[in-house]
Amino acid sequence: MENQDWVYSDIVKEHFLHPKNYLMGDESKFDYDAVGIVGNPICGDQMKMYIKVKDDKIDDLRWKTYGCASAIASTSALSELAKGKTLDEALKIDAKDIDDYLGNLPKHKFHCSVLGHEALADAIKNYRER
Amino acid sequence: MIYLDYAATVPMLPEVLEAIHKAEEKYFANASALHTPGHLAMNEIEHARELLAKAINAEPSEIIFTSSASESNNTIIRTFSGHRIETSPIEHHSIIEVAQKSSGDKLPKLYSYMLANNEIGEIQDLSKIIEEAEKIPTPQHSELFEPKTEWGKPLVTDRRGAYLHSDLTQVLGKIPIDVKKLQLDYATFSAHKIGGPVGVGALYVKNGVPFTPLIIGGNQEHKRRGGTYNTIGIIGFGAALEEMLEKKTWEQYNTRIRNLRDKLAAEILQKIPGSSLNTNLEPGKSLPNILNASFRAAEGESIQLYLDAEGVIVSTGSACAAGDIKPSHVLMAKTGDAEVAHSSIRFSFGLDNTEKDVKTVMQVLPGIVKRLQEISTINMEEN
Repeated sequence: MENQDWVYSDIVKEHFLHPKNYLMGDESKFDYDAVGIVGNPICGDQMKMYIKVKDDKIDDLRWKTYGCASAIASTSALSELAKGKTLDEALKIDAKDIDDYLGNLPKHKFHCSVLGHEALADAIKNYRER
Repeated sequence: MIYLDYAATVPMLPEVLEAIHKAEEKYFANASALHTPGHLAMNEIEHARELLAKAINAEPSEIIFTSSASESNNTIIRTFSGHRIETSPIEHHSIIEVAQKSSGDKLPKLYSYMLANNEIGEIQDLSKIIEEAEKIPTPQHSELFEPKTEWGKPLVTDRRGAYLHSDLTQVLGKIPIDVKKLQLDYATFSAHKIGGPVGVGALYVKNGVPFTPLIIGGNQEHKRRGGTYNTIGIIGFGAALEEMLEKKTWEQYNTRIRNLRDKLAAEILQKIPGSSLNTNLEPGKSLPNILNASFRAAEGESIQLYLDAEGVIVSTGSACAAGDIKPSHVLMAKTGDAEVAHSSIRFSFGLDNTEKDVKTVMQVLPGIVKRLQEISTINMEEN
């Protein structure tokens, strides 16, 4: 961390500046099977995860977030981690996996912004309960 | 880079850098020493003291140098430890947190109200506080009135039921200050908000009012603040004050900088859907260099860091940026709306900013906000 000129690691910066799999504008633009949500704008972070399922696998997914840089980066990272996984595998992704993938977020950021996996779990639950 | 975070810190002025470099070579000695190099260093400190006194219409003997505005604030609040302490909800944490710990029910009472807030620039009307303070009866006995000089003379000659402190950290250089007209007993200042170095603060303590040192164990500052003099830092503060007085910076803030600020505000409201202002632009209601705005459905830290990536430097009242779990207490006190606080950006101008800077901000800001609004879970169409 010592020599970097940005507040977060390079990989966080990359996912923040060029996030993957986000959903711009109207959610009907993405043909999803289920959606999950976590967080609250009052707390400063909220994520929504939209999944498309094929053969019990996450065929494709999109997300939306109202949140800080690490919320955007961690949700983007999660979307990359979850793509192609079976629903059971996807349910096993936890905050630590996301943190490891991003090369460790600052501690104070961890609890408030790494929430995407909970939105994903909520989406999978909603998919199974359809 | 377009720097719009002058309320957080002002880059050191070239004149300050020059004064500091010179001081490092010339005024190295301990300013409390009686030998010639020590005496020369002390002369420079006294010069800086005179400049601050002149800038705020006080006596040099009423100025105490500290390490920071936070130390200055702590010193005054702790002087009134166990006493009634009243502050506004928009004070700096170095007032609010200490006041919560220190306040009691004894008299005399301390009112601590900043003249202008650092986050939204709001100017508070102190006249109502003064009116209220005057109604409080002077206590017969108070340990605050008891301290005596070595010759047995009472140190506190101005005995009252209430005293007024104001944190003027953001005000110095922006609007003219007259501590007598403001009827202040104590005031806080900081060098780095006017282009001086970080690590130098000051206190105005009116002659004859109660005072308890925070740092004891030295004769410095007439036993009012222990610790070896930060000669180089104080000389830097002096150089910044000299520039401020010579250029009458408050005149530039009130004209050119106010225009830039108002122009940015107008453009934001006109060109960015979901934007709103947290700063009252009316003259006399806010500092002319601060603009705080919120952008619906777009979170402040993200806006701040996308702007950073474009070379535009601002700050935010969002919790995330502060490493806190709560958003800005100032915006919460003013709006009562956490989303407004989380979505806020403070643009604070300095004398180096130009119209071109406003133009550049408006080239990048609308797109950044739009993108965040489009990926946001908050629907812009809903109320």
